[in-house]
Amino acid sequence: MTTHQTEAIVLRTWPFEEADLLVSLFTREQGVVKGVARHAMRSRKRFGGALEPMTHVRATYAEKPKQDLVRMDSFEIVWSPMSEPVDYARVAALQFLAEVLGEALPERAVEDDVFRLTVATLSEVKVGQTWMPVTYFTLWMTRLMGWLPELGACIVCAEALRGHPVWFAAGADGVTCGVHKRPGSVALPPEAVALAERMLRRPLAELLKEPSGKTGPLAMVRRFAVEILERNLERQMRSARVLARL
Amino acid sequence: MARFAEPMARLIEELRKLPGIGTKSAQRLAFHILRSSTTDAEALSKAILQLKASLRLCSRCNNITDVDPCAICSSPTRNQRLVCVVEEPTNIGAIEKTRTWNGVFHVLHGTLSPVNGIGPEQLRTTNLFNRLSDIEEVILALSPTVEGEATSHYLAQEIHKLAPALPVTRIATGVPAGSDIEYADEITLSRALDNRRQL
Ligand SMILES: [Zn+2]
Ligand SMILES: [Zn+2]
Repeated sequence: MTTHQTEAIVLRTWPFEEADLLVSLFTREQGVVKGVARHAMRSRKRFGGALEPMTHVRATYAEKPKQDLVRMDSFEIVWSPMSEPVDYARVAALQFLAEVLGEALPERAVEDDVFRLTVATLSEVKVGQTWMPVTYFTLWMTRLMGWLPELGACIVCAEALRGHPVWFAAGADGVTCGVHKRPGSVALPPEAVALAERMLRRPLAELLKEPSGKTGPLAMVRRFAVEILERNLERQMRSARVLARL
Repeated sequence: MARFAEPMARLIEELRKLPGIGTKSAQRLAFHILRSSTTDAEALSKAILQLKASLRLCSRCNNITDVDPCAICSSPTRNQRLVCVVEEPTNIGAIEKTRTWNGVFHVLHGTLSPVNGIGPEQLRTTNLFNRLSDIEEVILALSPTVEGEATSHYLAQEIHKLAPALPVTRIATGVPAGSDIEYADEITLSRALDNRRQL
């Protein structure tokens, strides 16, 4: 039996057997691990509020040889989503982050950049401030997973696209110029492309000073990044649909 | 499930759908039912069917009832102007056990959960919002979870829009009685400090 102690993010919990909870945990040391928190449904003593999804914890768990599920021993809260007010938009944003991580990360693969992105984004998702952190997180996830296409040039003719609209289609690789756009393409106007480029160069704290809302260039970048994620994950993200309808 | 005869496997599968029942418990229950008398087995299946046939939701508060309005909503000794909002009908039992609540209830049958497809339209709130003019205070008794908090926030906001003068309160959260402060997690303890009371 090996005991691990690592920083981690609680992604999801499910009722398991009689009184236990199955926990999906994104750890810094080992990537996503799944394990059982014994008696967590009835007795909250050992875990308290730490099992709430998207809580940043210091987790202690034990790995048994030849077993997929680890034994969750104790969680100490580093940061909790409950430390700030919660409204429907904020819970939708937090569940979106959890859903993206749960779908995109393979089990037991260390993803330190994704971990740091998640921690940096989480605490900025606040009531009245959801769109910029969510969009920043989504765009960066496409880059860190290696799915973000080169935005500077048409994939067909290689023409430089700076200052021009960039066309993308959910079912096709890369982006194109207006001449080579594929059926069902949507345009990302120059101001949205410029915003995406700023997001990839600057820290979130700086971007939070920019005007943001649920429409305009920010919404376009979000839709673009969500489509890339969904195309690569080969499924629609439920929480992304909820966010789009807010 | 090929190791059980088909009718047995089917019963185990159905029992496994019940909350808190894992495969082992389902098998234990199925074997118990198999060994019990035909009369007992019939009584159990009849009770289940009757429950479904005779019970419905109270049109005022959404509690599960066999008469409408339910016993609580039609009680002359309760203060019908104090409404405690809970997530599930089972929460009513928990609050009733305290014997300190003499108001009535409103059951939402869930909390806001975008990822599970529960938005404001899915919560059972219409009958609550329609009777706000008959209410003196709304007390929110929802779980101290992210989803419970989002639901409280939503309800308070909607009620303030419809009845600006109506007080909306929330039950306090804090350290459980009989427990040790050392074992309380940081969130629970910081809320207990926020909600402190003068002695
Ligand atoms: Zn081109
Ligand atoms: Zn009733």
